[in-house]
Amino acid sequence: MRRVDFFQTSFIAITLFITILLIMAIASLFVVPSWDDVRHNIWSEEMRFSLKLSLITGITSTILVMLFALPIGYALSRFRFWGKGLVKTVIDMPIAFPELVLGLCLLLLFGSTILRDILASAGINFVFTKKGIVAAQFFTALPYAIRIMKSTFDYINPRLEFVSRSLGYSMFETFKNISLPLAKNGIVASMVISFARCIGTFGTVLILAGGSYMKTEILPITLYLNISYGNMGMALTSGIVLMIVSFLAIFVFEKAEVSL
Amino acid sequence: MKKILSIIAFLFLLSSNCIAADLLVFSGAGLIKPMEELKINFEKSHSIVIDIHYGSSGEIFAGVAAGQPCDVLIPGAEKYTDDALKNGWVLENTVTKMVLHIPVIAVPKGNPAKIKGLMDLTRPNVRVAIGDPKAPAIGRVAKQILIRGGIWEKVKSNISVYAPTVNQLLIYAALSQVDAAIIWGDLVTWAEGKGKLEIIPIEKEYNIIKTIPTAICTGALHKNTAIQFNEYITSPEGMKIWEKWGFEPCAE
Repeated sequence: MRRVDFFQTSFIAITLFITILLIMAIASLFVVPSWDDVRHNIWSEEMRFSLKLSLITGITSTILVMLFALPIGYALSRFRFWGKGLVKTVIDMPIAFPELVLGLCLLLLFGSTILRDILASAGINFVFTKKGIVAAQFFTALPYAIRIMKSTFDYINPRLEFVSRSLGYSMFETFKNISLPLAKNGIVASMVISFARCIGTFGTVLILAGGSYMKTEILPITLYLNISYGNMGMALTSGIVLMIVSFLAIFVFEKAEVSL
Repeated sequence: MKKILSIIAFLFLLSSNCIAADLLVFSGAGLIKPMEELKINFEKSHSIVIDIHYGSSGEIFAGVAAGQPCDVLIPGAEKYTDDALKNGWVLENTVTKMVLHIPVIAVPKGNPAKIKGLMDLTRPNVRVAIGDPKAPAIGRVAKQILIRGGIWEKVKSNISVYAPTVNQLLIYAALSQVDAAIIWGDLVTWAEGKGKLEIIPIEKEYNIIKTIPTAICTGALHKNTAIQFNEYITSPEGMKIWEKWGFEPCAE
């Protein structure tokens, strides 16, 4: 009996130790800077630009990610097709990549002369542009969203879909009326993770979009730029804003999940 | 459990050993190749451990300003040691000029935009990359060169990216993402750039050549080692390593 007790208390102690360490780390971001400095920095032109751009690109990327994650997640969960194992591995790969490698891959792809010319004729340029930020965030967040959507559909009993099909509904109608409503919680979770991932994407954006001051500057880039400018006040402020935005996103989505 | 605890204690001991370096150096990120070689040589001959922190000049300068422990400060331009001296963060008689940092125009192999000199950067549709004027020393210098040439306003509309780090400039030029980048000449001797870049010198009348200084911090904890290290990196033997990586020694 005593052995079990010791086992339990030691595991709880480890959990508490890490939790306290994390709380202290997060709190120090709010305690270290002077508040006058933060107030001044938060209304600066650079911060407003960066926050606005972060929100616009983050929301756009999240919508795009979901538009792709839903069908891909469903296909991986429900359908059998040739090369599925390989497809799964390839789609998961960016999770293991460092962001910088992914950024470099995308730069090579979108910067190659052939693809660049094709995209340019459609009026799209991903290298050093705001569209590039969206592309970088999209490819960084997509694998996470797909994973969540796939496991969501995995947990939905296919029998309900069979019943719907046997009652004469088409595959699409079944997807729309049965699978999607049942996957609601998974969709919300997937959106939260995607948005948080998009807002926090740094390395991919730095390489593909360049990370130029007041041009392709999103919140993590603001943080990085101001560290290299030696402007710690601004760097800390962007860290705080980044944390508040992520916190609000998770909070709002969780509220939405409850009311749905 | 005792075993686990002793392992943890051992790990702590090990990590604290790693942190306890015998010399702390703050160096500009662009100097990493010669600095690493100088570091290894000095470590061997003096059997000590040197910890070098690389960052943009602005970043390491701010580190010293914030009172981070540092023995030797080697930024990418003299402006930083001058400012540090004014604030009393480095010791006056230790500031030594070492090597020259010469800005050049790097173009992708084959020079697709046919750049021949600084003035060609004003031509329409030439894609130019420079460092962020506030972050790496080369960014500020590039802007000054363009202003000196009287073409800053014209070139500004051609600039497709202000890169926060020097290495990005190298990648973008080597991968033909830009037609021209203003970069330190020594960077092109790096293996990464070899065979993928061409160098167009900037005309003497516009170019701004910088000196890389070294200085010992006022708060240095290992002052004697720091003096020895500075003597070594400015010695003829040290200069050979600088030259190997494309830096020119100061004339004096």
